[in-house]
Amino acid sequence: MVKLVENQVISHKEFEMIKITDEVRKAVEESGIKNGLVAVITKHTTTGIMVNEALPCVEKDIEMQLDRLVPNDYPYVHTHMLPTYGTCSGNAPGHLKSMLAGNHCLFPVIDGKMMTGSEQNIYFVELDGLQIRKYFIEVIGE
Amino acid sequence: MVIDIHAHPLLLDEINENPEDLQFRRQEFGVFKSGINPVDFELVLLEDAKIDKVVFLPEDYSTEVGRAIVSNDEMARIVARSPEHFIGFAGIDPRREDAETELIRAFDELKLAGLKLNLSRLHMYPDDACLAPLYKICQDKNKPVMFHAGYSWEPNTPAKYSEPIRFEDVAVEYPDLRFCLAHMGWPWWQETIMMLMKYPNVYADTSMVYMDSPRNYYEHLFSVNMNLNWLQNCFQDKVMFGSNNPRFRHVRSLDGIKNLPLREDVMDAVLGGNAMRFLGMED
Repeated sequence: MVKLVENQVISHKEFEMIKITDEVRKAVEESGIKNGLVAVITKHTTTGIMVNEALPCVEKDIEMQLDRLVPNDYPYVHTHMLPTYGTCSGNAPGHLKSMLAGNHCLFPVIDGKMMTGSEQNIYFVELDGLQIRKYFIEVIGE
Repeated sequence: MVIDIHAHPLLLDEINENPEDLQFRRQEFGVFKSGINPVDFELVLLEDAKIDKVVFLPEDYSTEVGRAIVSNDEMARIVARSPEHFIGFAGIDPRREDAETELIRAFDELKLAGLKLNLSRLHMYPDDACLAPLYKICQDKNKPVMFHAGYSWEPNTPAKYSEPIRFEDVAVEYPDLRFCLAHMGWPWWQETIMMLMKYPNVYADTSMVYMDSPRNYYEHLFSVNMNLNWLQNCFQDKVMFGSNNPRFRHVRSLDGIKNLPLREDVMDAVLGGNAMRFLGMED
């Protein structure tokens, strides 16, 4: 059996780590699936899905490390008008940080609940805010 | 006071309840993939960017495509959602039989703040006879005109109709008509700065990031193509910050301007003071 949920989040900063662990747990419990896997997948190319410890210091280190690896001010190629969009491409850092963050995570589902380590939290990570965003929660099992 | 003098409201949810409306606007304006932007979220974006007011520009080619891209009544509805933040211009297809009465209605009844014309899309030079009555109404009512100038991303827009020098007769014949050569008239920025220096009623805006990042682009244009002192000392009272949103984000265009090493008084003028004078807000 497969159950799919699409959720919306609104980011309020250029970089923002938005905890969605509770939303994923809820979707798993409401899916009716007892044993299997849950996948959390972003719909975008300048966002990420991360799993990490929900401490402000860790979140800040993640942000600072991404900024060191992918500076905002750099002669990126993806900085020009896109005729197929009719808009400018000014978000190369978001795309590159998204590559580092990854677009999904997976957790086991056992007895109708998502199984995680005690300090594991799931984040929807905005890398090109502010924007209205969406992500999938797909529960697969029986 | 920070004013974004050049933004387009065609993606706002207030006027796009019907998906067919959004599709029409996207095709006609040439913004093909951007989604609907809720008005409430637009206000969040402005607050985040620390922009106090934004000027929304409509366009009307209804004699050709059957309806305005954004009508004057729709613009009035948008402004009504947040009058302290939104300033709406009128759009008039000069080929409409009721062009003059509609412009007067837009100013007197709908309280719109100026007139937007893209003559490249209209295939019409600035001295076309059908434009004269509209210029006179704007001059008589102390309302500014925002002309598209130079290169346009809209479909079917030959740039020859909007070369900055073509507007010189308008500046001469209507000396009390304030008008803006949008996009700095790019690529004819030299013609634009001549117009800025010579004619007190001519302004320009910075909605011209056609390549590179805003920081790099503005730095190159104002410091390499020009000398930064030209902006600081020769037409410091004529250039207005404009983002061209949704083609470019308000906040990133603004960052590019703020990154220029301008004197504080010039920065204040470019970010808002010049727009206040252009809009007649100082009267």
